[in-house]
Parts: sequence; C-alpha cells; structure tokens
Amino acid sequence: MANVTAEAADTTQAAGTGAAGAAARPHRTRRADRTRERDTVPRALRPGRGGQVLRGVLLAVASVVTVFPFYAMLVLSLKPGAAVSLPGSLLPWHLSGSSYSAVLDAQDVPRWLFNTLVYSLVSVVGVLVLAALAGYAFAKKRFRGREAMFWSFLSMVMVPYHVTMIPTFIMMAKLGGVDTYWGLIIPTLANAQAVFLMRQFIKDLPDEMFEAARLDGCSELRIFVSIVLPLLKPILATLGTFVFLWHWNDFLWPLIMGQSSSMRTLTVGIASLQQQQVPLSQVLAGSVIAFVPIFAAYLAGQRYFTEGVTGSAVKG
Amino acid sequence: MAAVAERTTRPQKKRRGPHERREARIGLLFVLPCFLLFLAFRFGPGIAGLVLGFTDYTIGDTTHFTGLQNFQRMMHDPLFWSSLRVTVVYSVLAVPFTILASLGLALLTRRAFRGSRLFRSIFFLPVVTSLILASTVFIWIFSTKGPWSDLMGLLGLPEQSWLTDSALVLPAIALVGIWSRCGYGMLILLARLQDVPRELEEAALMDGAGPFQRFRYIVAPQLKPAFFFLAVIETTNSFQIFDAIYVMTGGGPANASYSLVYQLYDAGFKYSDLGYASALGCVLFVMTVVVALVQRMVLGKEK
Repeated sequence: MANVTAEAADTTQAAGTGAAGAAARPHRTRRADRTRERDTVPRALRPGRGGQVLRGVLLAVASVVTVFPFYAMLVLSLKPGAAVSLPGSLLPWHLSGSSYSAVLDAQDVPRWLFNTLVYSLVSVVGVLVLAALAGYAFAKKRFRGREAMFWSFLSMVMVPYHVTMIPTFIMMAKLGGVDTYWGLIIPTLANAQAVFLMRQFIKDLPDEMFEAARLDGCSELRIFVSIVLPLLKPILATLGTFVFLWHWNDFLWPLIMGQSSSMRTLTVGIASLQQQQVPLSQVLAGSVIAFVPIFAAYLAGQRYFTEGVTGSAVKG
Repeated sequence: MAAVAERTTRPQKKRRGPHERREARIGLLFVLPCFLLFLAFRFGPGIAGLVLGFTDYTIGDTTHFTGLQNFQRMMHDPLFWSSLRVTVVYSVLAVPFTILASLGLALLTRRAFRGSRLFRSIFFLPVVTSLILASTVFIWIFSTKGPWSDLMGLLGLPEQSWLTDSALVLPAIALVGIWSRCGYGMLILLARLQDVPRELEEAALMDGAGPFQRFRYIVAPQLKPAFFFLAVIETTNSFQIFDAIYVMTGGGPANASYSLVYQLYDAGFKYSDLGYASALGCVLFVMTVVVALVQRMVLGKEK
C-alpha cells in the first residue's frame, strides 16, 4: 500500500506540474549527452549553405534582441545626466561612474546588497539542510505518518504562493517578525519542491551503502553526514543554485516584509528607486550592481543554473 | 549479503522489532524540522488563506465569517473584472508567443555547431535575471524617445510610448515576459529534441520530405508533451504577473495593466483589507486548478 501511494505521487509529479525527476536525471546522463553532442550531425541533416546563412542571420538577430537590454542597462548607467537620445547615448564613450557613486552614497544600496546576501545565503543553507534530512527520511525510512506528511507537501503544489503569503504576513505581524531578518527568512525555509527533488534523488541511491555502515555500528547521524551528504553533492549544487537564484530575485515577499528602507532587499530597493523618480542612470546603476553577482555566478557555474532552473520547474 | 536481503523483506511484516522502531524514530526525527516549518508557514497559512477569503479579516479588528460576501462584492467590483481581464489578456498574449519563441531558439541551436553552446547560454541569460532589474531598462526601451518607438517609426507605425497607451501596454509587458521566459522553454524543448530518433529524420529525408514536413510529421509529435508542459507552467506563471507591472507601469495607464495579483497586493497590504485580498487569492487558486484540470483531461485523453 505504501509503495502504491508513493508511486502514485511520483507519477503525479512527473506528469503534473513539477518536472521532479528531471533534476536528478541530468547528472546521470550528462556524459552521454556530451558524447552525443560531440558526434557529428549526419551530413544529410546538416543545413546547406543557404540554410547556414539563414540560421546565422536568425541567431544574430535573436542574440542582439536578447543582449540589447543588458547592454543598454550598462551603457546608460555610465552616462549620468545626459539626456537620453538615440542612437548617440548608446555609444560606449564619454562614460562616467558618477551614477554609481551617487546611488551608493544617497541610497541604502550597500545595505540592500547585504540584506539580499543574508536572505539568499541563509535560506540556501537552511533549505538544503532541511530538505536533505527530510528527503532522506522520506526516501529511505519507514515511519508512521510518512505518507500523510508527504501528501501534505504535495497538496500545496496547486495553492499559489500569494494565498499563503497573507496569513503568513498576519502571523509575522503578530509575532513581531515584520522588518526583521528572521521574519523574512524563516517562512521560506520549508521548500516543498526541494524536498521532492531530494527524495527523488536519494531514492535512486543504493541501500547497500547505508546498510554496510549501519552494520559497522555507525550512528544514524554519522551515516547521514559522512555517507549520505557526500553522495548528494550534485543535487545540493543544482538545488542550491536554484534556491539562491530564487531568493536573490524574489520580490513580493521581501516587499511586504521589509517595510523600512534599511530592511529592503536589492530588488525591492531598486523598485523603490524607480518609484522615487531617481534619475534613470542611477536606477540602472543599481540594477547593474544587483545583476553583476548573478552574472558572475552564471559564468562560473552555468550548468548548475540550467539544471537547477529546468529541474525545479515549480517554486516551493 | 544475507543480512541485506533479509532486511529488505522484513519491514513488510506487521510486527515491528526494536530495529524498526529505531528506524521509525530516526525517520521522524529527520523529517520533523522541515515538516513543522512546512505546517507553520505553508500548509497552515495555505489553508488559512483560502478560509480567510470567506471572512472580513482586517488586522486589529474582530473577524466574522461572512460567507460569500467577498465574492458577491467581487462580482460588483469593476476593478476586479478589469484586473481579471488584464491577467487573462496578458496570458493570452504572452504564453503562445513565449512557446513559439522557445521553439524557434531550440530549433536554431539544436544541432551542435561551433558556438551553439554560447548561443544557448546567451538565450538563457534573461531567465536568471530578475524581472525587476530588467524592467528598469525596459521602461527606457519603451519610452517615447526609446529604441522601440524608433523601431516602430521605421516600420511606419506611430512613434509613441507603449507603456502609456492603454491598448499597447499589455503587449509591451508581454514582450518583456517573452524576452525573460523563452530561454527556459528553449532548454525544455532542446532536452526533448535530443530524443527525436535521428534515423527517422534521415529516413524522411530519403523519402524527400522537406524541412517543414520533417518538422510537422516527425519532430513536432515528439515535442507534444514538452509543449504541453510549457503551456501549463507558463500559463500558471503568467496568471501571477506582478513584478514587471509593479516597476514598469504601477498598473497604469488607468488600470490598463492592473493585474489580479496587483489588486491582491493593494487590497491586502495597502488597504489592509486582508479578507478581500484572500478572496482574490481564492480566485487565483481556482484559475490554477482549472489549468491543472485541463491538463489532466488532455493527458487522460492521450492515454
């Protein structure tokens, strides 16, 4: 019976809103993908000369459209004061960093950056630890209430976050958590999506490894820390990237929880700059400051981003 | 080895030995921190949020069950109908074109060629970028003197700011949505495209099928589940459109871009009308469930 429900849960996930297994899968097939990528496309299916030109043109157009907003953001942030006129204002000379110093001096940008870092990093650690523990228990342990608990996690997939947000805010207002770090962070720690992905990943690990350690007399916590956790490295990396990105870019929850300027995150702060009618170049300077860390991380660990985002289709 | 084999069969017995009891205790211990937080901050509030929709809750006042009153009020609230219309129109504009653009990008970068990985990385970049940050620059792009207006001028269309025109504001925001989401769809479709048997395509080529026919009869059927998955994900996401609108237009001009979640946010956190905000949340919930039901029905038919 237990197995039946668990399997039903798996199919709901796979067929339903989440692409649950997808995050676990890439790790196992990545090598195969690469070899497949490398082996040459059959001559017959390769585009002819005309096709190649057409593809090149389309790729160029699509790339320009994709990159243009980033380019404009950067260049305009370096052109303070100048009336924006086209195409002159897009040319990369007569640049000045004064918008950056202006926005850093006049606004709480460093504080917002710090808040965003706290919100993202603490949440990543919390979510990963809690999800790894829970995922391990759901995947490998039998205990009373396991199915009921798992179903309660699943049952919230359909409920939009915006519904949950209102009572959580009321609760936090009563507990005095509004405008505090703990009020901002703690409600985001139990991430159902992370638990599903962890459970899925751990289910596929062979039992024998844990059994051997157990027969050697290792304590459960010891088994978890020195055997389970190292095996989880790939999923911790992709899931960690996804959770980090989600918190870094999160907007609505920090918006309602950070009521004073000093408790805003970067996204909320930059939206507030926009509303205060701060000059465009300064707003864009703020955007560049908020974007650079994500861009650097993207360059460094791109595949974790692509796997994390595609594997975790639904937010917790 | 024998011990392992024995262990895997043992838990099926009804009677529980000391080992099973210990295992159960450990399991519970491991799951509880996460589960309790989940109960307190997701499950509990999730249910409470749906229930609050049937009350007149405001902070610091006594609360009464008001039955369907919030929903009756909604029926006579022109702002609700307007925000619902904005949300649906936005989704109708954004979802199909996001999927089409995803398909285009996936087909363009499908075959490995020099630079194909770089192009995929470029197209995925907007997906990891916060919509708030992107919106700050799109405000300029869509402004009267911005490049979009110039481009329209080149095409012989009126040069104007799309964000201040009530008919053009949603298409403009949908363009931002498409820009930000199509890299995601591209990756989902690329994953499926790898599963299309090459032999089939080559065979079709031998039979003289052109690129369009090969796509229509061999590639497209393989992509169907992915299209479907994307349609559900993107529709659910677009029902929740808020961030971009908050920054770019603040719901204007004249509420022409005032979405359902925007109204929920204003009702709850600007006017402290948390009961009504929750009722709007219930509507969003029902819309999400309808999408899921449609998905179930279509999937059921496929099987």
